[in-house]
Amino acid sequence: MKSKSGLKSADVSFSLDLTERDVNRRRVNRVMTRVIQLSALLAVIPLIGIVLVVASNGLPGLSLEFLTNSPTDQPRGILNAIQGSLIMTFVALLASAPIGIGGGIYLHEYASERTMRVGELVIDVMLGVPSILAGLFAYFALVPIIGHSGWAAAISLTVLMIPVVMRTTQEVLRLVPVGLREASLALGVPRWKTTIFITCRTAISGILTGIVLAISRGLGETAPLLLTSQSSNDTVLDLGSRMNSMTVTIFTWAGSPDPQFVTQAWTTALVLFTMALVLNVLVRFKTINSRVL
Amino acid sequence: MATTKHSYSRSKLSGELPFRAITLGAFVLAAALLFALFVIIFEKTFVLWSVESPLTFLLSSGWSGTVSDAGVLTAAYGAWPAIFGTLITSLIGIAIAAPVGIFAAVYLVELAPRWVAAPLTFLVEIVAAIPSVVIGLWALGDLSPRLRDSVEWWVASTIGQVLPILSEDPQQPSPTSIFRAGVVLAIMVTPMVAAVSREVIRSVPQSLREGLVGMGATKWETIRLVILPTARIGLFGAVLLAFGRAIGETIAVRLVIGMDNVEVPKSLFKSGTALAPQISVGFAEATALDLGAIGALGVVLFLVSFVISALVRVLVWRSARNLGGGR
Repeated sequence: MKSKSGLKSADVSFSLDLTERDVNRRRVNRVMTRVIQLSALLAVIPLIGIVLVVASNGLPGLSLEFLTNSPTDQPRGILNAIQGSLIMTFVALLASAPIGIGGGIYLHEYASERTMRVGELVIDVMLGVPSILAGLFAYFALVPIIGHSGWAAAISLTVLMIPVVMRTTQEVLRLVPVGLREASLALGVPRWKTTIFITCRTAISGILTGIVLAISRGLGETAPLLLTSQSSNDTVLDLGSRMNSMTVTIFTWAGSPDPQFVTQAWTTALVLFTMALVLNVLVRFKTINSRVL
Repeated sequence: MATTKHSYSRSKLSGELPFRAITLGAFVLAAALLFALFVIIFEKTFVLWSVESPLTFLLSSGWSGTVSDAGVLTAAYGAWPAIFGTLITSLIGIAIAAPVGIFAAVYLVELAPRWVAAPLTFLVEIVAAIPSVVIGLWALGDLSPRLRDSVEWWVASTIGQVLPILSEDPQQPSPTSIFRAGVVLAIMVTPMVAAVSREVIRSVPQSLREGLVGMGATKWETIRLVILPTARIGLFGAVLLAFGRAIGETIAVRLVIGMDNVEVPKSLFKSGTALAPQISVGFAEATALDLGAIGALGVVLFLVSFVISALVRVLVWRSARNLGGGR
């Protein structure tokens, strides 16, 4: 809209005295506008490609049996992979949500200026740790003791999910008006109660956003699981043994020479992609709500 | 009177210390985890350093180590092919993602009508939420053959005839290549560049734009003379952040790069390897020495990502000081 009106005013002033330089400037402007529009288009084309290809390759294999059967059944299904992904992510969330929220509260509500800076750096570095290193950490620290297991995977996921929760918590606490805290403190409410019942309650939808983002990250990780939980055909859901997951299933089946496995990798990808999409749409609505605060 | 007052305030404070301690504990635990991650990976590399110097490890290629019957360790591990692969793929990724992402952000903030901007922002950010293994599967099954038969074929049969670094037999192209891994990385980090750039460009004061429009500048002149220069530190941070993400990507790269770690490939259209994917392979029959070398790759990767994250944080602090708040 804006660019259009800009061009229109250009047309009007064209009837005035325009030097060759001005004409040139307008031409450059038109060309660069197109280039910028094209860039925006380029940024979305991969998404369209991925959605179309994953849907067209994955939909034919999608059936109720695929979601409710185990890999050893006929026809083959991914029930244990879905369960494994959900369980490991859930366990990781049980650890990372309190640590992340608590740490975020500490950094924003209690820490001195200097500690807060250190804390921000810690969060940044943790967010930037390549996920394979979280897997390597769990592989070196835990696999020799407890073997390839769901627990080791859950702990590597915890390392990756903590900074997501902590960053979101800290950012959203910053949005809570100071006046709210002051009003509560002025009424004689102790600081910790103010923090829990006023500050955090106000920011609750933002904190929930962080949790959903962490779940989304946990469900989508592959690399750490390759080193820790690996894969399994077992339908017994025991965190102490190897566990299947959707991401590792896609990875293993993608490289299979059997075309049936490859098709099922696409179908699994479709299931995982849909989950990621749902979680992110959820976050969208949450953030829109929390903007109002 | 004084005593009652005292006990009163103490009872009110009774929850204060535990709560403070718990939240402090949570933060310390997180920081300790990060510290432990580095220490445990670093500790595993000692066995390698006893037989091979870090410098040799960084700059040589090869991947073999043996323990003789007498217990003598010999090691010829080299990280150079992996470091080279990581650098090249990330640079290709950034070379594509930086202009596309920044211009996409410019479009979203400066040019797009509102009814386009909102859904488009959402779509761009959805790409960032796609699990990397799904992108990897798509890259392996759809994108990679397409790139092989279009861009790579065309370049290899024209420029590639002269430049060895872009050479490849157009009749028998390699099934995997470093170049394709770079393109996949570009697709994965473009949303990140766009999202951060968008925030940065949005924080450019409106009055600067108005100033230039008032002088009769065209839209592009406003963007080139005011918006991009004002936002340059933030934009640099966005690109750096994306670079950090690119060097850490494991699965999608592993699926298309070919995992050929013997030596540095002579052409971008040949198979290669990279740090993160290299860490994820070869665990099944790994000896302690092999694990030491894998750990050493991990240490290199950790240090690089640490430096990048710290640099980005410093940029954020500096731009916050310059603009007086706001990121």
